Amino acid sequence: MSKIIDVEGLTKVFPPSTKAVDGVSFSVDEGEIFGFLGPNGAGKTTTMRVLSTLTSITEGTATVAGHDVGREPGPVRESIGVVPQEVTLDNELKGIENLMLSARLQHVPKKEALEQAGELLRLVELDGAADKRVRTYSGGMKRRLQLTTALIHRPKVLFLDEPTSGLDIQTRTKVWEYLKQLNRDGLTIFMTTHYLEEADQLSNRVAIMDHGVIKVSGIPSELKDRLHGDVLTLEFVDGAGDLTTLLKRIGEVAEVTRTGEVYRLKLPKVETAMPGILSAVTASGLKIKQMSLTKPTMDQVFLEVTGRSMRDAEEPQGNGSGSYGAVYAEVKTR
Amino acid sequence: MMSESLAIGGRAITKWLRNPFAVIAALIQATFWLVLFGNSFNPANAFASSPLGGGSLGFFQQAFGGATNYITFLTPGVIGIVSLTTMSFMGVDTVLDRLSGYLDMLSTYPIPRTSIYFGAMIQNITKAMATAVVTFLLAFFVPNGLRLVQGFSMVDLLGVLLTFALLSLVFSALFSGIAISVKSTDSFFALVNFLTFPIMFTSTALFPIGFFPSWMKPYAQANPVSLASEATRLLIVKGALTAAQTWSFAGDVAGLLAYGVVFGALGILMARNALRAR
Repeated sequence: MSKIIDVEGLTKVFPPSTKAVDGVSFSVDEGEIFGFLGPNGAGKTTTMRVLSTLTSITEGTATVAGHDVGREPGPVRESIGVVPQEVTLDNELKGIENLMLSARLQHVPKKEALEQAGELLRLVELDGAADKRVRTYSGGMKRRLQLTTALIHRPKVLFLDEPTSGLDIQTRTKVWEYLKQLNRDGLTIFMTTHYLEEADQLSNRVAIMDHGVIKVSGIPSELKDRLHGDVLTLEFVDGAGDLTTLLKRIGEVAEVTRTGEVYRLKLPKVETAMPGILSAVTASGLKIKQMSLTKPTMDQVFLEVTGRSMRDAEEPQGNGSGSYGAVYAEVKTR
Repeated sequence: MMSESLAIGGRAITKWLRNPFAVIAALIQATFWLVLFGNSFNPANAFASSPLGGGSLGFFQQAFGGATNYITFLTPGVIGIVSLTTMSFMGVDTVLDRLSGYLDMLSTYPIPRTSIYFGAMIQNITKAMATAVVTFLLAFFVPNGLRLVQGFSMVDLLGVLLTFALLSLVFSALFSGIAISVKSTDSFFALVNFLTFPIMFTSTALFPIGFFPSWMKPYAQANPVSLASEATRLLIVKGALTAAQTWSFAGDVAGLLAYGVVFGALGILMARNALRAR
């Protein structure tokens, strides 16, 4: 697999001295979905703006599709599609007009654009609404249309900034499906998100960013495995006595805590520990009343690497977070 | 470049045709100027009641470049003023495009940055020309309205349209550049107010050059609204121009063109600077 995005020691300082991104290095392979995870103000959007040629680099290098984003912005722009956090469609134009405007600015020949538009609108299930003005669309419809405007020229890389923030869970799941479909067709996707579940569900690889630095990156399941955080909860039939010592003796059990007849066993990996536990329990003639299993979540991964849970890390809009939504709302009310 | 500019400008023109509020507002403004200002401040009345003027039309005509009534004199000026004010306020669309992230989105497309500036100019010139033409027609129907010189020809009409087009080019070049550069609606309106009033009051839109004190005269004569007003007045008041008048007309047009080139160059620099990655 070749690297389609390659970032080395990327630093971005906004004058006078706000370091939004601090020496970040990572690469994305062709055909991957790469999730950039972190709270607001972590530097995710700034990194994405650098990669989409909107923000200049203070130090380091970044290439997209083989072109340096600072020196060759033209070829970079030709190979990318960008879906910003805020919807940037024209409300007074129809869905199809927004899409065709995007095609024209991407230099897609009209005939080809119309075919591609039909295909994309079917994918995001907007083919029935294409001739309606965007002002009549729901928030979810706008997001879906916005996605198509970034794909009309068949880009190599799609940049998504918080693709589903503010969407209801149903629409969110739909958007995930579209993205998975597009990825299966060969599209590389780079997305920022502060939804842990989104990064987990969608990405082949994730990087967790906080305060301008990548804290950890890797395959989501591996990151979670690294926590050794599987928890098996066993409830025994009454009158079994204290089983703590017995359970602790089983090979892979790291920790046992007891509440009445309920025992919480911390295991490195439940899949390999389970057979040993079951045979030990059966050998002692004990009867299990109930059992349940908790796998670690991305939130625990986040907690582990940043020392805070994702929710606590959410702070007021940081520097260079790039969202103009609030400002716009203010202006419109005047 | 041209195709992208047309696409960007076309977006705004389509919007405007669906919701022509901005131009209707401009036409209402023009109507107020012509009907209310044109009649209430009509200097011909003052001349008529003054013992010095002796009620003679000749005295008024002498002061007002040969116009047979005040609204004939005023119409080109009103077109200039309305072009100036509406064009400056139309720029707010571009500021809102920046705030909503639309300009950023355009900046991720493989298009020349200047096509965003030219796109804004195309839409503003189109709107301003539409306003100018309707205002011109409107002026015929207001009380004591516009009276063209006998023998006003197609060529004269084309000259009038050329003058309007150049004036809208001048202002759209200036205000589109400002609109792309500013970061908020507040600073945009502050700048607009700072520029429009001095331009309006140092022009010969409302009164002839003879009314200005000598220290203001050079500014008034060089003012683009004055250039457009004077050029148009020659055509609608004098008709078949003498050689000297033709030169005077050509001088005004050349002046407007020079403003257009200077403001255009300035606007391109401002747009490039405002839209580069930073």
